[in-house]
Amino acid sequence: MRRKFSFMWITLLSLTLLLSACGSGGSSGNSGSDSAGGDASGGTNESASNDTGGSSGEKVNLSFWTLFDGGDGDNMQAMVDQFNKEHPDIQVKNTKLVWGEYYTKLITAVGAGNGPDVGISHISRLPDLINQGVATELDDSAKDANIDWSTFNQNILEASIYDDKHYAVPIDTHPFIMYYNKKLLKDAGLLGEDGKPVLEQSGEGFIKFLTTLKEKLPKGKYPFALSSSNDDPFRFWWALYSQQGGNDVVSDDLKSADIDKDKAVKAADYIKDLYHKYNFIKLNDPDFYKTFQSGNAAIMMTGVWATGTWENTKGLEFGAMPIPKVFDQEATWGDSHTIILPATSSEDPEKRKAALIFANWIADHGEIWAKAGHIPSKPAVFDKPEFKEMPYRSDYVSVASTVKFNKHSDKNWQIRDNALFKYLNEVWSNKMSSSDAVDKMQTEIGKVLSE
Amino acid sequence: MKKLRIDLQALIFLLPFLIVYVLFTIWPMIKGAQMSFYKWTLIRKMKYVGWDNFQRMFHDDQFWAAVWHSTIFVFLTTPTMIVLAIALALIANRKSKLQKLYRSAFFLPSILSVSVASYLGLFMFQPYTGFINGILHGLGILAEGKEIFWLTEPSLAWIAVAALTLWWTVGFNFILYLSAMQEIPDEIYEAASLDGAAKGQMFWRITLPMMNSITRMILMLQIIASYKVFMQIYIITGGGPLDSTRPIIQYIYQSGFKKNDLGYAATMSYMLFAILLVLSIIQYVVNNRKEAA
Repeated sequence: MRRKFSFMWITLLSLTLLLSACGSGGSSGNSGSDSAGGDASGGTNESASNDTGGSSGEKVNLSFWTLFDGGDGDNMQAMVDQFNKEHPDIQVKNTKLVWGEYYTKLITAVGAGNGPDVGISHISRLPDLINQGVATELDDSAKDANIDWSTFNQNILEASIYDDKHYAVPIDTHPFIMYYNKKLLKDAGLLGEDGKPVLEQSGEGFIKFLTTLKEKLPKGKYPFALSSSNDDPFRFWWALYSQQGGNDVVSDDLKSADIDKDKAVKAADYIKDLYHKYNFIKLNDPDFYKTFQSGNAAIMMTGVWATGTWENTKGLEFGAMPIPKVFDQEATWGDSHTIILPATSSEDPEKRKAALIFANWIADHGEIWAKAGHIPSKPAVFDKPEFKEMPYRSDYVSVASTVKFNKHSDKNWQIRDNALFKYLNEVWSNKMSSSDAVDKMQTEIGKVLSE
Repeated sequence: MKKLRIDLQALIFLLPFLIVYVLFTIWPMIKGAQMSFYKWTLIRKMKYVGWDNFQRMFHDDQFWAAVWHSTIFVFLTTPTMIVLAIALALIANRKSKLQKLYRSAFFLPSILSVSVASYLGLFMFQPYTGFINGILHGLGILAEGKEIFWLTEPSLAWIAVAALTLWWTVGFNFILYLSAMQEIPDEIYEAASLDGAAKGQMFWRITLPMMNSITRMILMLQIIASYKVFMQIYIITGGGPLDSTRPIIQYIYQSGFKKNDLGYAATMSYMLFAILLVLSIIQYVVNNRKEAA
């Protein structure tokens, strides 16, 4: 009996140990299985390129990987469908990937030689993709496809150029802006004749505006909806830091941390006071989008992609505008979606040309893409009647030129996730002074850059 | 000869499983050992770096902090899990009309997947709209207009994660204890009651010692499982605030897939493996000594 039991015991133990090993080893095993999966599909890819390789008169098939879901995903699909209809000789197949896994999958697939012909990248993620050899240089193919780079918004375009070479075709920019609830502002007497908020463009002006709201709003309504951690307060901080002339948090040679401490602390203190000194913001709000959407907050700040969501909300009368100029100059946070040509084994020039014709077409038809709220990357789109007919967008297109993009560090995302979010969150929850947090950010960024 | 043929037959039946097992468990394990000696990213050619990854690990504060967090989790959940599982088993083992209901109710949470359980926990511990704060408001323990921020205070976040994990996984251990209790022969209790033993005495002198071996097994399984904690913490707190609840697996995951440093991630995985191995060996030796004595 005893013996039998100890046998069972050993078996169980060794089993769990094995399982634990594969649980933790799983992280390492994944890449192997991923590339195995990729190999299988590699066969189909190859046969596809055989069909298209050769003379230019034949049909070109392009595989296109995207990370859009919801409204964005539908709009992109609509654009792809329309493009395919208008270009019988180029057929694009859109594969939607889950956004959280997109970059990992793209990098692995390209590494295994099975990447798509066309892909999407955030402009802030581009340096990493270039550095890893995923995104390729476009200039030769762009000449073939007759892309006129001067038709793009130059502020956005600048951010996609490395060593004087183009690596991406920007299709939009999605900056951090402010939304307001017209009904609540009107009740508080803060809505002007023109339907825009009565708000003096200064640090004190914005505080005064919110203070009036706090006094006049009915019980249970908040002046300002903002989350208490991660992305959105960080974007607000980035905007205010840039408004004082702060220029990213890494040095120009991208090798060391370089935060302008005074400006960083001033920006952080300003936002911290909105939470803790004036109590304008619902602390640790589990869903600040919902707070605004259900009419329980007078203003909110987030990326322009929310425009589409608010438009589809019944009974929400809202407006959109650039975030207030709290410090010296207008500036805000923003990122941009771009189309890239991932490295492929064949590097077929016909395919690359077709891919850029597609990318340029997407940028030209920004009015469809703007349905979700994004600002098109080509200013010419602003004058199209389809774009002008859409409300709200025109109120914030000017922001595209004031977006302060990241410098070209391949560690942008790691710095944001591992250094900035982390310590700024401590400031927002009032557990760390802004000065301490900025010092720690400086150290942490240095660590990320040296790894 | 005959024996060999039977083995061959068995092998044929085992083959489908073995192939998958070798391909997806054994092979990645070997590959992982190799990776831990390389600077290995998702795409670029790997570079042999010898023991560099290991050296870096021993000097990496974040690694040791993460190991410590997993250890905290082990200390928080393992003893409470055993006590709770025994308590529930005692309740469900009593002769009562509700016996069946107890059994299924206690086991039910275990069938949830980790993400479902974690999101339930997330909703429960949410401020303003969460169930827990709602109850505290209702009972008047929490004043109107005040909120407990369960997930942004390190100590409260630990309590929230541990409570959720207990509720979610106690079912399996509860079943083990229940079956162990039913294995204990009735005669022993009968004899004890003839001798005038009280209920409490019977529990401490009969039930508990008779379940010793199962307790030891649960202890070990629980320690191993707790060191592997990841998903529920990742979903509920994301490792925050300020990485104060980040367990070792999350750090491995972040190093591997967010920082593209798969070699270092593999190194840390093997360190975790070593820690668990040592713990298991200690446990095994202690057990053997006890059984021999």
